Amino acid sequence: MTLLTRLTVLGALAAAFAWAQPLPKAETILDRYIEVTGGKAAYQKHTHETMTGTISFPAQGLGGKLTRYATAPDKEYSALELGPIGKIETGFTNGVAWEKSSILGPRVKTGDERDQAAREALFDSQVEWRKIFPKAETIGSESVNGEDCYKVLLTPATGKPETRFYSKKSGLLLKTTTTAVSPMGEIAVEVEVSDYKNFDGILFPTQSKSKMGAQQMNILITGMSFDQPAAAGTFDLPPEIKTLIDKAGGK
Amino acid sequence: MQPTKSRAGTGLSGNPTSAALALILFASPIFAQLTTEQKQANLASFETVWTTIRDKHWQTNPGGLDWQAIHAEYRPRIEAAASTEAARAIMREMIGRLKQTHFAIFPAAVYQVLDADGSGDGWPGFDARVLDGRVIVTDVYHPQFSAMFGANAGVDASIIKPGWEILQVNGVDLAPVVAKLKADPAIHELQLERSVAARLSGQMGAVRSMIFADQNNARVRLDVKLLPPRGEFSGFGNLPPQPVWFESKKLGNTGYIRFNIFLDLVRVMQEFGDAVQQCAHCDGMVIDLRGNPGGIGAMAMGMAGWLVKQSGERLGVMYMRGATLNFFINPRVEAFEGPVAVLVDGSSASTSEIFAGGLKDLGRARIFGTRTAAAALPSVITRLPNGDGFQYAVANYISQGGKPLEGNGVVPDVEVKLTREALLAGHDTVVDAALDWIRKQKVSQ
Repeated sequence: MTLLTRLTVLGALAAAFAWAQPLPKAETILDRYIEVTGGKAAYQKHTHETMTGTISFPAQGLGGKLTRYATAPDKEYSALELGPIGKIETGFTNGVAWEKSSILGPRVKTGDERDQAAREALFDSQVEWRKIFPKAETIGSESVNGEDCYKVLLTPATGKPETRFYSKKSGLLLKTTTTAVSPMGEIAVEVEVSDYKNFDGILFPTQSKSKMGAQQMNILITGMSFDQPAAAGTFDLPPEIKTLIDKAGGK
Repeated sequence: MQPTKSRAGTGLSGNPTSAALALILFASPIFAQLTTEQKQANLASFETVWTTIRDKHWQTNPGGLDWQAIHAEYRPRIEAAASTEAARAIMREMIGRLKQTHFAIFPAAVYQVLDADGSGDGWPGFDARVLDGRVIVTDVYHPQFSAMFGANAGVDASIIKPGWEILQVNGVDLAPVVAKLKADPAIHELQLERSVAARLSGQMGAVRSMIFADQNNARVRLDVKLLPPRGEFSGFGNLPPQPVWFESKKLGNTGYIRFNIFLDLVRVMQEFGDAVQQCAHCDGMVIDLRGNPGGIGAMAMGMAGWLVKQSGERLGVMYMRGATLNFFINPRVEAFEGPVAVLVDGSSASTSEIFAGGLKDLGRARIFGTRTAAAALPSVITRLPNGDGFQYAVANYISQGGKPLEGNGVVPDVEVKLTREALLAGHDTVVDAALDWIRKQKVSQ
C-alpha cells in the first residue's frame, strides 16, 4: 500500500468516524437554546408579555397588524387585523381555547386544536419544554439556508409532533415544521425564523416566513415588552364564546 | 374610506369590468416597440407565470401536461415577441393549454386605468340577461333611475321596465352579436353575459344610445347616461377594487337576500348575519346568487354557518399541493332553521357554486334556476414583473356530494328559466318558484 493510499484510507476512516459522531441529546440542544437566548433566569423574570408586529401574505397582496398579550402561567389573547378580512381574535383562558372572526363568527376549539392552543399559551413554554413534550429526540442534521442544524423531533402528550432545526454554530432555532390543526383540516406548516433581537435580556426572532401549502405568510415583530400587564379584561372570554359554552353545557 | 378605484377580472350582468378591459385593450398600441427593459420584464413575467403554475398547481403535472416541455415550447416565442401585447397573448395561450378556469392575465393598463377616477365603471342603471338569444332587461335599479337620462331625452325614463328587450346599443344590433357568441362553443354563458354587459357599460357619464322593444314591441330610443356603479368599492389584496352591493328585504314573510359578489367581507358578512337574524321567524329564506361571479371562498363557509345548525358539516373539500382543506361550517347560535332556497344561473360562478352546491349536497337548500357556470377553482391574483396581473388557480374543489364543480357546475333541483313574458307581467319566474316551494313547506308543516 502506497503512502498515498494509506493516507486516503486513513482520511476515509476519519470521515467515517466524523459521520459516526453521536448526535447530541435533544435536551442538550433545547437547553442550549435557553442559554444562548438569555438563560432560564431571564425567561423566568417575566410574567407578562406584549408583542406587536405586522403580517403579510405576499402572493395575495394582503397585510395587517398583529398584537399578542400573554400572561403567566397560561393566558393568551391575539388579535390579527387583516385589512379586508377584518379582525381575527384568538385566545386561551382557563382551559378554553377560542376564536372569533368576521367570516366564521365565534367558536370554541376542541381536540388537538385546543391542545395546540394550550401549548402555545403556556407562558414559560421555552423553559418548560419538558412539560409540553414528554418525548424529545435528535433525529439528524440538516442544513437550513446553508447553516448546519440539528434536527430535533418533539412529541407532545397529545396532538401533532413538531420538528425543530437548531443551528449547530449558534444554538439558535432557525426552522420549525409541524402540522397545524383546524376544522379546515391538517396543514403542513414550515416556519423559518431569523433576525434575533434582544428584548430585556431575551433574544427573540423578529422575522418569520411560513409556508402552508401554497400559501406564504411573513411576520415581522416590531415591538416586545414585558411586565406591563394587559388591560383589565383582555383575557376574558368574549360574550359570544360564553354563550357557546353555556349552550354546549345545556344552560 | 371608500376607494376611488375600479375593478377587473370578475363580472356579471351589469358589471362594467369587461367594458373596462375591452376599452383598454382597444386603446393599447398594437405594435409598440419594446425597450430592453420591457423585453426583460416580459421574460421575467413569463418565467413567473410558468414557475408559479409548476410550483403551485394542485397537480404535479399541471393539467396533465408535460410542463417542462411547455416551457421549452413557449420560452423562445416570448423571446421573439415584438410587443408586450404579443408576449401577453403567448402567455395566455400557454395558460389556455391547461383548459381550466381561473387562469388569466390582466393587462397592466387595467390597473393604470383603474387608478384613474373610476373610468369604465359606468353602468346603465339596469341589469340585463340573454334570454333565448335576446338581451332582456331583468332588473331596474330605481333609486338613481331619474338621474340616468339626459335632459333632452324626450322620453319618460321611468317607462323602462323589466322585460324590455335591448335591440341596439350605439348603432350595433345585439341579436347578431349574441348569435355569433352563442355559436362559438368556446364561449360559455358566463362569458356571453359579460360580453353583453360590456356593451351596455363604459365610462361614467358617457351616453349609450339604446333602442329598446317595449312591452308592446314598439321601438323606444333612449340616450342612457352611464351612472356610477351601484354599491361601494372594495378590494382584496391584488384584486382591483370592485363595487359591492348587498340588499335584503321581505317578500311576504320570506326573507330575500341578494348581493353582487362575495367581497367586502366585513360589511357583507355583517349584513348577511343581520338579515338572517331579522328573519328568525320567516317562513323561509331566498338567497339570490344569479349573476354572482364569486369572490372570497371563505365567505361561503361563513354564510353557511348562518343557515346550518348541525356542527361537523362542510360544503366541500379544496385540494391544494400539500394541503387538503375542508370548507367547514361553523354553526351560529342564531342560525336560521327554516327552508332555504338558493337561486342560480349560468353567471353564478366560483364561490356562488361552492355555496349553492354545498348546501344542496347537505340537503339544506333547494336550488332554483339554471345550471351554474362550472367555474369554481380557487385562485389568487398577483402582479407580474411587467405590471400585468396574473390570476392562477391553486386548488381543485370537490363539493360535499363528491363531484368537482369545475366543468359540472351546480344543477338546480328545480330548473326554472327567466322569461321575457313573465318579466313584462311583473314576475320573476325563478323567485316565484322558490316562494311557491317555501309556501308549500309551510303548509306541509
